[in-house]
Amino acid sequence: MTARTLHSAPSAPSAASAPSAASPASPDARPSARPRQIRWLLRLHRPALYAWAALVLVLAAGLLWLGGPLTDAAAQGWRQFSACGMAEACAYDQPAILRYRDFYLYATIAVLAVPFLVAAWAGTMLTGRELETGTAGLAWTQSVTPARWLAARLLVPAALVTAGTGLLAGLHHYVWSAGRGRIDTAKSWYDSSTFFANGPVPVALALTGLAVGALAGLLWRRSLPALITSVAATGGVFVALHWALPYLWPTVHRVSSLKLDTPAGVGLSAHSGVVTSSGEQLPQPWCGSSVSPQCRAVYEKLDAVGYFRDYHPFSHHWPLQLTATAVVLALGALLTLAAFRVLRARTGAVRGMKTAA
Amino acid sequence: MIEYRIDRRSGIATYLQIVQQTKQALRLGLLEPGDRLPPAREVVEATAVNPNTVLKAYRELEREGLVEARRGLGTFVRKALGTTVGDSPLRAELVAWVERARREGLERDDVAALFAAALDEHFQDRKEEQR
Amino acid sequence: MTTTAIEASALGKRFARRGNWALRDCSFRLPAGRVCALVGVNGAGKSTLLALAAGLIAPTEGGITVLGGHPADARPDLGYVAQDKPMYPQLTVAETLRMGADLNPGRWDRDTAERIVSGGALDRDARIRSLSGGQRTRVALALALAKRPRLLLLDEPMADLDPLARRELMGLLMATVAEQGTTILMSSHVIAELEDSCDHLLVIGDGRVRLAGDMEELLAAHRLLDGPAQDGTSGAGPELGQDTVVVSHTTTGRQCTALVRDAGAAPPDGWRAAEPSLEEVIVAYLRNPEVPGLALDTVFAAPKEATA
Repeated sequence: MTARTLHSAPSAPSAASAPSAASPASPDARPSARPRQIRWLLRLHRPALYAWAALVLVLAAGLLWLGGPLTDAAAQGWRQFSACGMAEACAYDQPAILRYRDFYLYATIAVLAVPFLVAAWAGTMLTGRELETGTAGLAWTQSVTPARWLAARLLVPAALVTAGTGLLAGLHHYVWSAGRGRIDTAKSWYDSSTFFANGPVPVALALTGLAVGALAGLLWRRSLPALITSVAATGGVFVALHWALPYLWPTVHRVSSLKLDTPAGVGLSAHSGVVTSSGEQLPQPWCGSSVSPQCRAVYEKLDAVGYFRDYHPFSHHWPLQLTATAVVLALGALLTLAAFRVLRARTGAVRGMKTAA
Repeated sequence: MIEYRIDRRSGIATYLQIVQQTKQALRLGLLEPGDRLPPAREVVEATAVNPNTVLKAYRELEREGLVEARRGLGTFVRKALGTTVGDSPLRAELVAWVERARREGLERDDVAALFAAALDEHFQDRKEEQR
Repeated sequence: MTTTAIEASALGKRFARRGNWALRDCSFRLPAGRVCALVGVNGAGKSTLLALAAGLIAPTEGGITVLGGHPADARPDLGYVAQDKPMYPQLTVAETLRMGADLNPGRWDRDTAERIVSGGALDRDARIRSLSGGQRTRVALALALAKRPRLLLLDEPMADLDPLARRELMGLLMATVAEQGTTILMSSHVIAELEDSCDHLLVIGDGRVRLAGDMEELLAAHRLLDGPAQDGTSGAGPELGQDTVVVSHTTTGRQCTALVRDAGAAPPDGWRAAEPSLEEVIVAYLRNPEVPGLALDTVFAAPKEATA
């Protein structure tokens, strides 16, 4: 009865009380509009937003410069070098070639670093710190459910990360294509760092970095350990992908003569070795061509009749990129799901927001 | 309009302090029939006491027939308490007595003690009520 | 029949990281419209209980319903101010209030927010990180009150305030209760601070409920007995009936003082009975953890507490 008495009591006539007294009884009077979180999310992370925009712009400009003038200059250098043939003295633009090589390396490292940066930021600023300082609890008691809080914190950065990383990865691919066949020292498509910086794979890695960071922040509820965990886990994803990559698409099996120095087949190699007369595949004895008597003896002892190699030729570049992307994205999705589960277990929020009846 | 002052260290229940201060104001003529008591909201905002305490005090005053709650308007004084003592001869006599006590060297506490003792002697029921 | 704001049954919370129980076997009922003081020494589990009620953490065992449902569903109707008043340090006061409006569409009361903030000498363009403790409290209370909650959960709300601001903001809280019938559960370790403002009491000691119920009823259930100390007995207190629980007793020379919980029977010969102060009752229960707690107005009453 206590609450009712108050309304009908001597206090009621005061002018201020009349309109507001009715409101607690009818919280559903207006349709429950959704809390406007996103503009505040952008406001809270404005420094990160600006830093990200600056990073993407600077890197994009650098990549354009690398794929255009620098590549052209290096290609010209290589043309000069080839034209010299066996001549004693050769005038060619060596600095241009070296500059291309260095800047290509820097560009690749920069694109590869993006997933780590995203993971580190997500682990600390996005979730870890909010739980550490308690501002997450502030949001959750300001009519924003934990699930919506996390959803906004994943979706908005995911969109920005996809856009930015997509642009950078596309430009990296453009740089790589521009040098292909024109520069002798250009990286092959299956060079690990190049492969991870080209196409959709870096985008998937960055998104998974975001999920890794968000989850680490939720688990640790403190910035520093979340930072370390996110970066380490992202590194783990890289290593695992590197290890698994050859097996993500059916390989081409090629048998070649033992007279060659190594098994034939240029591309991303899964296995190689020697085949015996009975068709058994043995590990590579790492000897060399059977032209040399010692090696011939080795091969005869093994009953080897030829080399074999299971590998991915250049035609597998896109299938591998797409499968790797799918695998990494699936991992990211699992981590995201785990983040929501962790949050739900912690807050005990079994249902979404529902206006009280 | 009356302003309540709550003394946390007095040992007297808060609602009783409000009742007593209201009665005091009625006796002294600070409140007259027809006057409105401050709304509970204003009292609690000023004193930080629980609203139920104020309502309890007002209910007690209503029970004693001193005030009446008019629905939607507030709580109003119904009648003055006893005779209005604000400027009665009794007051003048008391003032004269206090002045004499002071002249004879009595401290404030001595006067208060004398007065309280006299009250206790002649108003037994009041003492009961305070418990 | 009074509606219930919070009901806890055998509520327990253990933090994996610390390993021990912050709250255990906690059962009580807080009727709606009450202003309840949550009292206990530091580390007794007050903050844990408030966080559980706010739906910020999930209980390890037992259950808690808030405003008749799961705490998560009560969120729009809840106001919560954590002990360290967390807010985004990089936002200004004005931005923080605008954020409150954006996060509570349809229920934000701008006037209330403005009134609370303008009570202090606060620069609207000052960043939260530059505010003093008292100023932070003001902004945090503005955020919690302007969403017009039906239940306010406040963790040591007045700790950072000077006496003047304390009085003003407590008055404001009481005015909110008078106007809107808001239920308040607020923790403090200063009992005197809450005595006039609260009409309900919840005392927690060592993670368990020691006292719960209407303040006056709790006081009425206890008496302070004064009498001669018995010879030889190592201070067993007065000889009392079966139904009487001696909560605490002290013997000074030949004088024995005991706080007892009984049905109000006449005191034994040679003993005088008096009404104890709130502080005396609370302190007696906190100092003597072996005495069974007392929870009035609860279906899960004291006996359970006693066996645990």
